[in-house]
Amino acid sequence: MRATPLKCFTSLAVLGLLVTGCGQGLLGDGGGGQTAAAKDEPIVLGMLIPQSGSEAAIGPYMSNAAQLAVDEINAKGGVLGRKLELRTADDACDAQSAAAGANKLVTEGVDISVGGYCSGATLPTLPIFGKAGIPMIIPAANSQELVDQKLKHVFLINGTGSQQAAAAEKWIAKQGSGSVALMHDNTSYSKDIALRTQALLEAPGGAEAVITEAVTPKESDYSANITNVLAKKPDFVYWTGYFQEGGLIARQLWQAGYKGSIMVGDGSVSPKLVEIAGDEAAEGLYATMTQTPDTLQGAEGWIEAYKKKYASEPGPYSNQAYDAVRLAAEAVTKAGATDGDKVIAALEAIDGFQMFSGPLKFTPEHTLANGGFQILVVKGDGFALQDALK
Amino acid sequence: MTQLVWNGLFVGSFYALVALGYSMVYGIIKLLNFAHGDLYMLGAFAGFAILGAVGGVSSSMALPLLLAVLVVTMVVTGLAGVALERIAYRPLRRAPRLSLLITAVGASFALEYGMRAVAGADPRVYPVRLGGTSMEVFGARFTVQQLVLVGVAVALMAGLNLLVTRTREGRAMRAIALDPRTSALMGIDVNAVISRTFFVGSALAGAAGVMAGAYYGKIDFMMGFLIGLKAFTAAVIGGIGNIPGTMLGGLLLGLLESFGTFWLGGEWRDVFTFGVLILFLTVRPTGLLGERVTERV
Repeated sequence: MRATPLKCFTSLAVLGLLVTGCGQGLLGDGGGGQTAAAKDEPIVLGMLIPQSGSEAAIGPYMSNAAQLAVDEINAKGGVLGRKLELRTADDACDAQSAAAGANKLVTEGVDISVGGYCSGATLPTLPIFGKAGIPMIIPAANSQELVDQKLKHVFLINGTGSQQAAAAEKWIAKQGSGSVALMHDNTSYSKDIALRTQALLEAPGGAEAVITEAVTPKESDYSANITNVLAKKPDFVYWTGYFQEGGLIARQLWQAGYKGSIMVGDGSVSPKLVEIAGDEAAEGLYATMTQTPDTLQGAEGWIEAYKKKYASEPGPYSNQAYDAVRLAAEAVTKAGATDGDKVIAALEAIDGFQMFSGPLKFTPEHTLANGGFQILVVKGDGFALQDALK
Repeated sequence: MTQLVWNGLFVGSFYALVALGYSMVYGIIKLLNFAHGDLYMLGAFAGFAILGAVGGVSSSMALPLLLAVLVVTMVVTGLAGVALERIAYRPLRRAPRLSLLITAVGASFALEYGMRAVAGADPRVYPVRLGGTSMEVFGARFTVQQLVLVGVAVALMAGLNLLVTRTREGRAMRAIALDPRTSALMGIDVNAVISRTFFVGSALAGAAGVMAGAYYGKIDFMMGFLIGLKAFTAAVIGGIGNIPGTMLGGLLLGLLESFGTFWLGGEWRDVFTFGVLILFLTVRPTGLLGERVTERV
């Protein structure tokens, strides 16, 4: 079919009508009362997660948990008499795909964003959602760069890079380690934690950061990097990237005869890490991590519900994704509308909302007042709590 | 320093194995088979599936079992390579070079995301692992398993070299590389020889895939992408289309990466590697051992 100018014009006009129609539905009439049409329409939650690319494994954990929360809330009658609906889009852990996915969600008329895993991919989506007046509750991405934008529609419910670095430094000091090697994968999230930890270690008296080594993600062989690291004779290695490389690095350190401690950041906390590293290499490996279903008292019921529905264990960041949806529902209830500004005000006012990571209150920067990082240790084939760092 | 050399040679032997398929296919039909890295991925997954079907084995039997799996996998990926050529490349053989190149990229994505649809996005871990504690000689640390892997790689490459230089089949391949039309006039079944070239090249990539799976443990559907680019670089360094040159290129690339990481730091490793690729393409596009003037795509 050849598109004539007239056809182009009419389709554009129809599109325009649709978009403005959507806009009205989105923003409401500003008076707090919902229009008749909006009353029956679902409240749409948008979730950007990696469904393809290197971090594709994480996406389903997060969307499953979010869907679980949506279903639970809908079973109780929804929010403001309206049902919730979850729409996901793929960010492939990559800036360009994330921007495209965010635009797609915006045109689909999303009311609140509850996604964001890779910080490097989440960063470019902030202005896209911001321009459309959509509040963002980011469940997993936690680079300080997200906070430094100082955007009022952005809320982080995972501890930030600086909080994680502080926890890491605290544990390194507790262990009495002398020389620390920091390893990161050059992504926004990972580099941030490594450099912040390095800065904290520069304070006199404690351990010394002897090397900060960057690796290329998605490779299999890190022996060249490990040779560099071991040449500095560290007794503590802190890897701040994701679990795929983390497992390989732990294994290759062990194969190279390294006997000191290894610690990984929260992006590496996954049973797969232990599997990839192998039992001998993973045993006794530490991790800086926020609360997880496994280390949480009273989460057994939730784990059961998740297993029943998806026939698998809740993976990393499933609890944060679940909390993000519940928090979005709470904020809309408090605001009495899905209007962006009102939801933001409601989120800022929240105090003591119960999440997996504890009662929630946002700092003026829209991060968790209590970062809640703790130290886990690998025992057998999973992570167990080592030190709550209270 | 010896450690750096050993690291480089070990990684380099993988690059060389994968690069050979690239080089052979380029040599014979002037196609840069960008799906070649994904045949490496396919090999890793095929080996994983076969090992899963065999079930649990004691660790003392791990090495002989892996060698058996290696052979079966080479047949599987070899056939996959033949199918790929038949479906994606042969219908386009008379089309402009660019169409072939684009098809190759498409085939690469089809293999990657097809595998993701079948096996899922989660990385898998090999049930049989070559680990073992390391020993130290002249300041370099290595394991017996590493030696075996390098040995297998060298044996495969030597076998290939014999095939190409000493057999009728190899002579036919070389003849087609020079002039496919005249070869056909001389009574060579060009299509069959091209199919067999794909079989051999893909089988080598599959072998590398199983070896990487067993040694590193982790496999995932994207694992072929980066090694495909590295193998291409290795082939260009040594001389694409030239078999001994490609082997040399693989080992050199491994050494370059190892020393590059040491001199410049880890974050510069890929910059350095692909910088060398650009350097070769501009200064000496025929590579170190290449003689023919290659056409650039």
